[in-house]
Amino acid sequence: MQVNDRRPRTAGMAVRGRPRRRDVLRGMAVGTGALAAPAWLTACSDESTSGPTASGEPQRGGTIRMGGAGGGATDSIDAHKPVTKLDIARVHQLYEPLLIRDATFELVPMAAESVEPNKELTVWTARIREGLTFHDGRPVRPEDVIATYQRILDPKTTASGAQLLSFLDPANGMRKVDSRTVEFQLERPSALFLDAISEYFQGIVPEDYDPKNPIGSGPFAYESFDPGEQSVFTRNDEYWREGEPYIDELVIIDFPDDTARVNALLGGQVEAIESVPYGQISTVENNGDFTLLTSESGNWNPFTMRVDAEPFSDVRVRQAMRLLVDRQQMIDVVLVGNGAIANDIYCPGDPCYNDSLPQREQDIDQARSLLAQAGQEGLQVQLTTSPVAQGIVEAATVFAEQARAAGVDVQLNKVDTGVFYGDDYLSWPFAQDFWGTRSFLAQVAQGSLPGSPFNETHWEDPEFIDLVEAAEREPDQNKRCTLIQDAQEIEYDSGGHIIWGFINLVDAHSTSVAGLEPNVAGHALDRYGFRHAWLAS
Amino acid sequence: MSALVPPAGDGGVTAPVAGQTPGLLRRSLATGRTRAGLAITMLVVAVAVVGPFVAPGGETAIVGPPNASEVPGLLFGTDVTGRDVWTRFLHGGISVLWLSALCTLVGVGAGLLIALLAGYSRTWVDEILMRTTDVFLAFPAIVLALLFLAIFQPSAWTVILTVALGHAPRVARVMRSAVLDVAGRDYVRSAESMGLRRWSIRLGDLLPNVTGPLMVECGLRLTYSIGLVAGLGFLGLSGLAIDQADWGLMINEGRTAFTVQPWPVLLPVTAIGLLTVGTNLIADGIARAAAGTDREVGE
Repeated sequence: MQVNDRRPRTAGMAVRGRPRRRDVLRGMAVGTGALAAPAWLTACSDESTSGPTASGEPQRGGTIRMGGAGGGATDSIDAHKPVTKLDIARVHQLYEPLLIRDATFELVPMAAESVEPNKELTVWTARIREGLTFHDGRPVRPEDVIATYQRILDPKTTASGAQLLSFLDPANGMRKVDSRTVEFQLERPSALFLDAISEYFQGIVPEDYDPKNPIGSGPFAYESFDPGEQSVFTRNDEYWREGEPYIDELVIIDFPDDTARVNALLGGQVEAIESVPYGQISTVENNGDFTLLTSESGNWNPFTMRVDAEPFSDVRVRQAMRLLVDRQQMIDVVLVGNGAIANDIYCPGDPCYNDSLPQREQDIDQARSLLAQAGQEGLQVQLTTSPVAQGIVEAATVFAEQARAAGVDVQLNKVDTGVFYGDDYLSWPFAQDFWGTRSFLAQVAQGSLPGSPFNETHWEDPEFIDLVEAAEREPDQNKRCTLIQDAQEIEYDSGGHIIWGFINLVDAHSTSVAGLEPNVAGHALDRYGFRHAWLAS
Repeated sequence: MSALVPPAGDGGVTAPVAGQTPGLLRRSLATGRTRAGLAITMLVVAVAVVGPFVAPGGETAIVGPPNASEVPGLLFGTDVTGRDVWTRFLHGGISVLWLSALCTLVGVGAGLLIALLAGYSRTWVDEILMRTTDVFLAFPAIVLALLFLAIFQPSAWTVILTVALGHAPRVARVMRSAVLDVAGRDYVRSAESMGLRRWSIRLGDLLPNVTGPLMVECGLRLTYSIGLVAGLGFLGLSGLAIDQADWGLMINEGRTAFTVQPWPVLLPVTAIGLLTVGTNLIADGIARAAAGTDREVGE
């Protein structure tokens, strides 16, 4: 049940840690301490950076400018509703949740010192880090923690994390125990509590929080913010990690255009960029002044088949579609090799991930025969695609070509991002989307239950639901894993996703920037980890 | 532009026969400019028309790693999803050609109709038609096209109609002044006095005598059509399937990897550029021939 910082990943319920833990780990290779790290973590942990990187003792001072993808006039700096990647980058600087998933997908304490459950997983006790202060110097109190979750749960806030905290009653579910302790009374037992509070959009803010004057306890304090253009942050001198942050100032600049972002890096206008377009990786790679930062992740861009819509309501059609995919070719072509093959189930980083299921391979004959059994020979389907993330449209194009081999005619319906997320979003019979890295139960809550906000496949399998609900209530890790693996097997056999790969993040920075490491949590640039980045002179 | 009005058989009472068009073409072909334009245009048209039949593979087949400029056995490497660039180039011209040709035909046809109606009515019809075209002229053609394609789902027909809609007012303005000029000639008056219907005068007396500027307009609008159709293809709005080969689309797909693999952009850009220059040279040649004729008659 109990986990502390020296035994990572062995139990996974309560979390406890000391401030300097990351620093100790950082001295060694990240990830070597993981005892039971899943295969996708360990396999490639040492091939993740290319090119020279500064080394030695971190140096103080300087400004790092980061070029980010996406962003626009609707950019936000609100702690609890980041939307674009740049919003996420900003949230990571200003705010910290009680816990967070670290570079190896372990839960580590941030604003909290420890979070522990009772035996039934109904009462959770969080202890706030000693001496933790907000940017304006006020201490972080239990009142602030309670007010934070009340703000998130207030429907008026439209916070990203409200759904995840559905087991928490904002009025009566939280109680101040003493000057540093908060007790959470859940409405149902839930093993999901830790995942729910460790998302980046659950940062702790003061009781009188106002997004116009954004204050948090993160490594950088607010200086200025121009939506769609740039934002500036200054060093938080009172930050709890000793010595961090090393740089004095961080500037985050919007680059909606891929080419402009890469050119800004090559031209020296920024020191680091996220998401190097696949087509330009070799340009950066072959330039000795820059370092590629490649991180394995659990990010996935599935094809989504609605299990309640023709022709996918027939499970044999779904199975056939999955057999059409040449997964290795998908990785090679769509991701230019920057990814790992997947098996139609998600969350490879979850300690309970079911890796005993046989790897599904392309099998045109089997697919043809399944389609024949379903009476769907010469099947014609429309696939709705949209450039919502890098490689999405390319994946659709490659899939259409692969399907042709089995006589399946996939007609590509390319729509604008606005149309894709418009009125028909979540009701396209056959479409695509992109997902980040989560633990299994957290992911299921987001996308695979009838009440999930993004259930694209309209997945509503009674047996699956029972297994997931039982797993969420189950305090014992081993029993929970068995339940989760059974649930995954159901999705493997009859689910509506085609999950062909897990995607590596490819970012780049100047060789003068040190301290950024590969991070499997699925966010760019070491989870925008500028608190431990430094500039070599 | 009214200076471009063709010969009108000064003082003649019968309408001159529509015989000048071959003469005009022949005269314009005598210049090196037109011949060069024709040669260039024919070259690109030949590539686009014959290309699909001689292409080494299927236009959607994945044959190698993405964005590789040097793949054994492939002339120009692969594109963003590992397809043969040369094959896609050979397949990708025909859509640009037939779309631009239809855009030109519909646009010039509509413009000519407006011009014949407005230029030979001398009533409020002329005012209404020309003021309406003025409103359309206030918008750049690409803005109009984007507006309409945002409202209607892009398909080949909506592309043709929106591009043609951009052409029509411009054609109408030029052709109206040509019609106006002819409408005052004696043979038209004579036809009127014989009691001929106005539409038969329009088609029988006016139209044959504005073929010079009409030819120039055709060439000019074809040049613009090629640019617009390729531009809309680049923006993914040409209404074609996204895995279909198309020069405009190829440029867009290849642009982020241009520094690594330039061919998916260079080949279609060169072809579109040549085609535009070629059709423009022809249009220019015809315009000069027509203007030369005009001067001869006038002096």
